[in-house]
Amino acid sequence: MAQTITFTVNGSAKSVEIEGWEKLIDVLRDRLNLTGTKRGCDDASCGACVVVVDGEAARSCVYLAKKLDGKSVVTIEGMSNGTALHPIQEALIEAGAVQCGYCIPGIVMALYALFTRKLDVSEDEILEELSHHLCRCTGYEAILEGARLAQKKMAERRG
Amino acid sequence: MDLKYVGKNIARPDAAPKATGRVQFLDDIRLPGLLHAAFLRPEYAHAKIISIDTSEAEKCEGVVKVVTGRECRFRYGENIKDRLPMAVDRVRWIGEPVAAVVAESVHQAQLAVKKIKAVYEPLPVYIDARDSLKKDAVLIHEDAPNFVRLPGMEPVPGTNIANRYTLKKGDVGKGFAEAEVVVEGEFNYPFSSSAAIEPHGAIVWFHEDKTIEAWSSSICPFIVREDMAHVYGLPISDVRVHIPEIGGCFGYKSDVTIEQTVAYVASFVPGRPVKWVATRKEDLLSTLIGHGFRTQIKIGAKKDGSLTALKTTILHSTGASMDTGIHVLIACTHNSTGAYEFPHCHLEGLSVYTNTPPVGAYRGYGHQESQFAMERMMDILARKLRMDPFALREKNYLGPGKVTSLGERLWESNGDVKKCADRVRGIVFANKKKPAEDDRYYYGRGFAALMKSPKGASFSSKSCYLKFNSDGSVSINMGGAEVGQGLRTVVRQVAAEALKISPERIRVYTEIDTQFSPWEWQTIGSMFTIQGGRAILRAAEKAIAQMKRTASQVLRVDEDRLVYDGDSIYLNHDPGVRVAVTKLARGYTYDDGVTVGEVVHTTADARLPRQSNPDACGQGTMGITYTFGAQACEIRIEKATGRVLIDHFVSCFDVGKVINPRQIRGQVTGGVMMAIGSTLHEELKFTPDGQAVNPHFSKYRFPTILDAPKKQTVEFVETPEQIGPFGARGIGEHPVIGVAPAILNAVHDAIGVDFCEIPLTKEKVLQAITAKRAR
Ligand code: FES
Ligand code: FES
Repeated sequence: MAQTITFTVNGSAKSVEIEGWEKLIDVLRDRLNLTGTKRGCDDASCGACVVVVDGEAARSCVYLAKKLDGKSVVTIEGMSNGTALHPIQEALIEAGAVQCGYCIPGIVMALYALFTRKLDVSEDEILEELSHHLCRCTGYEAILEGARLAQKKMAERRG
Repeated sequence: MDLKYVGKNIARPDAAPKATGRVQFLDDIRLPGLLHAAFLRPEYAHAKIISIDTSEAEKCEGVVKVVTGRECRFRYGENIKDRLPMAVDRVRWIGEPVAAVVAESVHQAQLAVKKIKAVYEPLPVYIDARDSLKKDAVLIHEDAPNFVRLPGMEPVPGTNIANRYTLKKGDVGKGFAEAEVVVEGEFNYPFSSSAAIEPHGAIVWFHEDKTIEAWSSSICPFIVREDMAHVYGLPISDVRVHIPEIGGCFGYKSDVTIEQTVAYVASFVPGRPVKWVATRKEDLLSTLIGHGFRTQIKIGAKKDGSLTALKTTILHSTGASMDTGIHVLIACTHNSTGAYEFPHCHLEGLSVYTNTPPVGAYRGYGHQESQFAMERMMDILARKLRMDPFALREKNYLGPGKVTSLGERLWESNGDVKKCADRVRGIVFANKKKPAEDDRYYYGRGFAALMKSPKGASFSSKSCYLKFNSDGSVSINMGGAEVGQGLRTVVRQVAAEALKISPERIRVYTEIDTQFSPWEWQTIGSMFTIQGGRAILRAAEKAIAQMKRTASQVLRVDEDRLVYDGDSIYLNHDPGVRVAVTKLARGYTYDDGVTVGEVVHTTADARLPRQSNPDACGQGTMGITYTFGAQACEIRIEKATGRVLIDHFVSCFDVGKVINPRQIRGQVTGGVMMAIGSTLHEELKFTPDGQAVNPHFSKYRFPTILDAPKKQTVEFVETPEQIGPFGARGIGEHPVIGVAPAILNAVHDAIGVDFCEIPLTKEKVLQAITAKRAR
């Protein structure tokens, strides 16, 4: 059954006709052509598809699109502005956390939600957040280092 | 040699495009008229197909075509043509394609697949080579002896043995007669998946002009191209294969596999592109899986620790097709010596058909499985000899003047295992004593040495196309697949060094396209740095020579008087006489417009020097260097749960020359983590009737950040190599080789129990602890 939902993505308003079975990831990738959000599993266990909905990290592969009405979504496409990267992206790059890069959009978004909520989280809280993200390339060392560096950079910018 | 860019942390050229989500992976590709395929997979792992009724599926909304294998008249494969794009009259493993729906959307295709009715007559299922080897076993491929194949591959008629590889060095009977001590064991390295986070996928488009265009998340575009051209009777040049960004490979996106299936389906809807991306379940069951090796090993030694003989028999459950697994088994077999010299060897590997997904490349390519056996046995042998395990190993390490099982004599430039071992030992075993057992934990330390042999083919080569632009910037195009390992950075650094220009002046290719990319066999075997790097050096030399040729006309002097410095060509005894590179890139134009000299763009390739096929004894030349290393760990075992915690994991490899310290560390930390997954958690499990037990990430125990070692130490020895650029060797696969034996040796050190099988789950450890306490 088709229905129309209205929500914002990266600050711009969208009105999209969807089918009842559609998930947020389908809307982003197939209806809005925002392909930066990645699909890595069938069952909410890899974290590659994480986006931010109303300030919370959400797995878009299991997030029903019809629940989106009136919500505000931030995706990886909203994190850089064409010339400058977000400090989280800068930090992950500097730490060498970007290898194949497939897990990175989800990790950037999860850290964005985490640090926006509360910047001075402990390392255990960072670990807990990252434990929902699978990465086959890095062995996680550089990702953790990147996350800590991102925290530092964001704190510095906030002054 | 004074190096300016090699050995430095030059930034990855592809990091920012990846971190912004802007790069295109296969599933991100949108094409006009794009159709989507979904597959029916069988109910049984081994069965005759009695009938397939597609009529209901055909009526579903959005369906364009339903395809079965009935019409399929070809087999494919690079080594032996024992693969079918779709089951014809029999299914042989649980992930095999049985039928496909092509529809306007993925969702429509998936809904329609559910309407296909297939009827089967089940056959006996064999999950393990030991079962399909039984006398009365049903043959999985009755016509295997008739399959087209490369010379040297021999299915044994009337059995499920797809091939037998035997390697003989010296006289193993004599070796065991000389032995004063013999140890034996059997070790199992079960199935698992490379499981990149990006699932495998492909798009194929049969065009009206009879050409084929394909996209794949593959590391072998040129093999895919040739195989497709062969099947569809086209000139190779009429098949065009694109490789977009790849979200990790670790082995299983190599060779030609899913592409032939998608092509077969797309051939029914010519004129429109068809895309298929594996679901995670399909990625785990319908592409290639890893391992499935059972190693029986017998070692003879003298009382003083000198090794006299080695006999290994390796049973490989190769899956329902051997094409992609045969060389993994061969590598597993001849590498079962590990980093040691055995004067007498009899090494045998049997590839055996089973009703499991085909085994193919997995990071490490056969090395970790048999060296798991060897390195565990070294500790066991040392105990039996009452000898220090390091002293036992040192007595037998391969090195200059020693001869490998393949009959290759090693030189100093092949690297130094002892130096690596000493480094690792100094870090982990520096304190004589490990922490004493306490209320909560047992503590242990374990070590493994390792050897990585090369793996190539005689004709394998990598090529480089290098172009100077008129502003002095340089564009480089190659056929090597970037899967995350960082080869684009290596290309940039090696080229910058060779051309004496800053890395910022070099732009490295992104996607591969067989229409434009220079030929490369395939990006496998941790050989891009060595081979690709050499191709870059050769292309750079040619470019410099070409500029000198033009400059010799312009400056009116013989070429051998000229020097190149990255910016100019000048007279070596009078540097004031010079011409800028920017003036030479398109030939030199005089003030009156007359232009001389050639455009500065060159191509070069690099083969494996003198690589040969195995001879009658199974010996031969690998054509490129070996690599040695050592790994060790400090672990804790939680008494209450049996959980193994890795406090510190240490690796050291003789890589010849570190090109990029940060990247190489990332390769090692990632590889170690992946192998910790294999050692402690991961296994792709099948029930006795061939059903998959855990084909989802929620059930397949993939390591997370909470499983990572508390600390990793990564070190390198740099004994320059002769073939690679600036002395460099490969590294991609090496970090997985010594992990399982190092951890299991540490477990023995902690609780005194010898385990011979992985994954060593906490349940198994807890059981052992409980049994021990009961004694
Ligand atoms: S794709 Fe959503 S968690 Fe894996
Ligand atoms: S960088 Fe490849 S999966 Fe994380």
